[in-house]
Amino acid sequence: MDIGVDIGGTFTDVVCRDANGTVRFVKVPSTRSDPSRAVLHSISYMAEHWNVRPDEIARFAHGTTVATNAVLERKGARIGLITTAGFRDVLEIGRQMRHQMYSIILEPETPAFLAPGARRKEVAERISADGTVITPLDEAGVGRVAAELAADGVEAIAICFLFSFVNPAHEQRARDIVRAAHPDLVVTTSHEVDAAFREYERTVVTAFDAYVKPVIDRYLGKLETGLSGAGIGAPLQVMQSRGGLMVSRIARQRPVRLFLSGPAAGVIGARIVGRSAGIDDLITVDIGGTSCDIALIARGKALIRTEGVIDGFPVRVAMVDVNSIGAGGGSIAWIDRAGGLRVGPHSAGSEPGPACYGRGGTAPTVTDASVVLGYVNPDYFAGGSLKLQPDRARAAIADVLAKPLGIGIEQAALGVHRVLNAQMAEGIRLVSIRQGLDPRQYALLPLGGGGPVHATALARELGIIRILVPPHPGVLSAAGLLAAPVEHEMSQAFGRDLAGLTLADVRAVLAQLDRRCTELMRAETVDQRAISILYFADVCYIGQAYSLEVPLLPDEPEPLKRLYEDFLAAHDRVYGHATPSPARIVNLRAVHRAGGLDVLEAGSPAAAQREPRKGVRRILVAGHADFIEAAIYEREAMRPGFGFAGPAIVEQRDTTTLVEPGWSGTVDASGNLILTRNA
Amino acid sequence: MQARSTAGLDPITVEVVRNKLDGIANEMESTLLRSSFSPVVKEGLDASASLFTVEGETLAQACAIPIHLATLIPIVRTFLKEFPLDGMAEGDIYIMNDPYLGGTHLPDIALAMPVFHQGRPIAISAAMTHHQDVGGMTPGSVPTNATEIFQEGLRIPPLKLRDRGVMNDTLVRMLRLNVRIPDVVMGDINAQIAACQIGARRLVELAGAYGHNLLQSIFQSLLDRSEIMTRAALSDIPAGTYRYVDHLDNDGIELDRLVRIEVAVTVKDGTMHCDFTGSSPQVRGPFNCVPSGSAAAAYFAVRALTDPTIPTNAGCFRPVSLQLPEGSVVNPKAPAPVGSRTATIKRVTSCILGAFKDVLPDKVPADSGGELLTLAFGGQRPDGTAYVIGEFIAGGAGASHRSDGVDVVETDASNCMNLPVEALEMEAPIRVHRMALRRDSGGDGAHRGGLGVVKELELLGDEATLTHRGERHFCPAKGSNGGKSGAPAVSRIMRASGEETVIVSKLVTTLRKGDRLILETAGGGGYGDPKARDAESRAADLANGKVSAVADD
Repeated sequence: MDIGVDIGGTFTDVVCRDANGTVRFVKVPSTRSDPSRAVLHSISYMAEHWNVRPDEIARFAHGTTVATNAVLERKGARIGLITTAGFRDVLEIGRQMRHQMYSIILEPETPAFLAPGARRKEVAERISADGTVITPLDEAGVGRVAAELAADGVEAIAICFLFSFVNPAHEQRARDIVRAAHPDLVVTTSHEVDAAFREYERTVVTAFDAYVKPVIDRYLGKLETGLSGAGIGAPLQVMQSRGGLMVSRIARQRPVRLFLSGPAAGVIGARIVGRSAGIDDLITVDIGGTSCDIALIARGKALIRTEGVIDGFPVRVAMVDVNSIGAGGGSIAWIDRAGGLRVGPHSAGSEPGPACYGRGGTAPTVTDASVVLGYVNPDYFAGGSLKLQPDRARAAIADVLAKPLGIGIEQAALGVHRVLNAQMAEGIRLVSIRQGLDPRQYALLPLGGGGPVHATALARELGIIRILVPPHPGVLSAAGLLAAPVEHEMSQAFGRDLAGLTLADVRAVLAQLDRRCTELMRAETVDQRAISILYFADVCYIGQAYSLEVPLLPDEPEPLKRLYEDFLAAHDRVYGHATPSPARIVNLRAVHRAGGLDVLEAGSPAAAQREPRKGVRRILVAGHADFIEAAIYEREAMRPGFGFAGPAIVEQRDTTTLVEPGWSGTVDASGNLILTRNA
Repeated sequence: MQARSTAGLDPITVEVVRNKLDGIANEMESTLLRSSFSPVVKEGLDASASLFTVEGETLAQACAIPIHLATLIPIVRTFLKEFPLDGMAEGDIYIMNDPYLGGTHLPDIALAMPVFHQGRPIAISAAMTHHQDVGGMTPGSVPTNATEIFQEGLRIPPLKLRDRGVMNDTLVRMLRLNVRIPDVVMGDINAQIAACQIGARRLVELAGAYGHNLLQSIFQSLLDRSEIMTRAALSDIPAGTYRYVDHLDNDGIELDRLVRIEVAVTVKDGTMHCDFTGSSPQVRGPFNCVPSGSAAAAYFAVRALTDPTIPTNAGCFRPVSLQLPEGSVVNPKAPAPVGSRTATIKRVTSCILGAFKDVLPDKVPADSGGELLTLAFGGQRPDGTAYVIGEFIAGGAGASHRSDGVDVVETDASNCMNLPVEALEMEAPIRVHRMALRRDSGGDGAHRGGLGVVKELELLGDEATLTHRGERHFCPAKGSNGGKSGAPAVSRIMRASGEETVIVSKLVTTLRKGDRLILETAGGGGYGDPKARDAESRAADLANGKVSAVADD
């Protein structure tokens, strides 16, 4: 029995897969003040409703938002920062660019809150760009500033010296001195977190590591205790931003890799669903209340970026390339001073939420429009756990939109959808264009509770002809947890021109990276013989400041030549051209991987023995002047091979799929719903 | 063309098309950045893309730095004058860069392409890129000591780069021969063509979906709507004439003479008029700013002062007018040099905003450091290879009614990243000894101005040419509402011999081994009476090293 638990803002999703591959799932309310409570609650739910015994559980995989919330809510540890003399302000100065281009009253662009000036200390030491020691480490100084920070009540200390990615000796020595004197303090060094050049970015990610480490440590520690208290002996595995699992004990040491834990699981789930349907090129769209997360899967691989952004701050760790745009079900529609209809960027969120939630919201939102248009069954929203109030949706749209526009309520509601869909489609197009990919060649995979309502409209806007709706789009992240491999990754700066480089030089570094990955893998309960190893190099043209991650295949003939050729091909794809100019390697990376599944659910899900067609509902869609009749289908009752034509609505506990006229649906052998645009 | 009726348009379709136009501009910009060759585009983001109506009004624009805002407008007007609409043909592309005919400075080359649907012109797709080199007296084509535009590079009048799909080889050969890196320049021009073509392709799709007449009516409606909203927002500002004066340090040639920027902004009946009478006559050095730059500053100001939710298009600029005295630093006569006009645009922007300090105290902050110290080092590495490396360094932002100014951040018309210490040391034989917030540089006030930065560098190699282009060395950022001025910038050279020289804002000199450069950028002005600053903030500033002592009154 494998258990996947993904914690979101509103719901904690639990997926349980038994030895036969049958999957069951439940959504329980999240417990924000102590997220582990919802996890432990789900265990008693499984015991009570599904008769899952603790000793039957072989694996417990977890996607968490604890690291991200600690940053968003500024509830991380009190930390200190020790830097090279002369550079304690690097963290606060940053890169001096601003994000709000037309604002004249600016907000700080750097996370100085992590360690304000008083908690940033300097010690004399200096290493040059080639790794030579210019000024020896002032060891007494390290002891002195560590004592000052300890006296100031810090829980963790981050150490970031210039050029430590070339020569880490000073950081290592300083770490040992601090640890010896203050064994209770968490100490984190920049060469261990992110051994790459650019001091600001390295300092930020190191400081974030220190900031979230005590929080993650407490949380996972508590969860480990809770699980063993419940009689679960299986290891607790945590999803990393890059899309691999690691055992909790290691996760507590590398917490900065957890920021995109949940979205990464969703992308892994999407990749596997795609494979089950025989589709390798996918755009995933997760539409939530306040945002729409977009990710690309090309040739069966999730695109990875080497630097992400958390709360507007750069976090240089590899993560799945998920792009957020501020549009979702809670986006508020309004009328501007010239009498035009606008949607967003403000959102009603989940509190008070859309007007139809009946929680005091009066602003018309996209979800209210969905209710008015007949897309969403008010009695079956989120499986019936939230009864929607259509009258409130109509009233909000009538008062705020329809009356000032001088049009009918339904037309105004349709307008909200048309505008939002145009916005989201442009957002999706931009994400794929930036990767050099043409969205028309891709299938759309909607996930989350809100995605499938917009899928056919978005596909139409983007020229996409195929949509893949997974069996359980609303809990795809939790399901993805169960299919993800265990993975450990190590990188090292390696600033060398390709010309004149020998394979032996590269192999020497790869061997070091392998040793460190192997150490981490030993902590995992995986078959050590079944570990596969992948290598990557970040490559750029000489003089370029940005690099591309390219697979490195040391056992192929002429690996460095191959690396260069693959770099040119990648450059051509992403930037539209490639010249045979000299290139250089910036970083080397090893990824050790074990396990992982190719399917989320074995065989086809057992369909209920019922007629899938439940009835008809009148809906209004773009391109039609009046309401039309749409057939309502029950997803749970659709068997493989079942086919139908739009207009239709497919209802299931975790989402609603709108199939506009001009689209047809079939259920494939794996239980996926495939929508195809009629020729 | 006569005015089209926009009555009876479906407001939803209008908004859908607006989102698509913004998406198209973004897609063009993304294509431009993605397929350009030169680092100045890829990393400096110094390029922009726009869609225009066939009357030359901006429909949508995507740019990453405000200095590009609306700078294509006079260029497209010039193209339309030179190549009237009825003579344009499918497959044409026009090119120019001359600042005195509507351009900005010579490295900015603009391309425009008329878009046809069923044989009729429906719009113009345009892209502008700051090219790495356009010839002239120095590599990079922004010589700080130019005294004539002819020294700044190749001037391109409005010409056809492509005629009905056929490239103008004469022009291409001429271009290639006059720049130092012809392959890079042509690569970037091809990226501009690609961007224009993306815009054209998607506009044609739009015309196919909505039909020619409806689309043209929607275009007009979008412009009208932004105009209505901008006029409404301007009407919220109390009517009156508001004045401001600030200065640039010097023109890089006559080092002891300040350059005056004076503006009188009149707001009434939903319009804004900026009169620059009283500003300095044009200067000998390259700090003159042609009208497109002064307009970009005014447009930035109107976008910052009105409602940020108003869609940016030419409608926003219809209520704005400018009086630019001929022969002045904001409207020079040829052949005055104009290459370094960024500093001037920044100051013009802050002057227009500064004029509103008293009337809109909740919207307008105190003056910012408003400098972008531009450094360039050129020399040889120990192995004999040559290096040229540049760096941009910001000062502090002005404080506002809401909060302290942000330390070391780009403000107003520019938005450049700094250079990591590790990147500089890996690239050049230079050591950075210190990079720190400049203590006590923020103007005191109820809210303190943002701090500048201190940077100390040492040349390790034998000899290097240093170009230093500073601002705010002599005229500090003024406070607001009783707040104090920020500290002015100071730059010094400490020679290995012990001799110390203060840099008079602009300098080209030779550094030798062991010479140190100590740079301190300007702080932002404070906001409100310093007596009103709360004790907690003062204590935090002291503890965090932002001030050296609690100010006594």
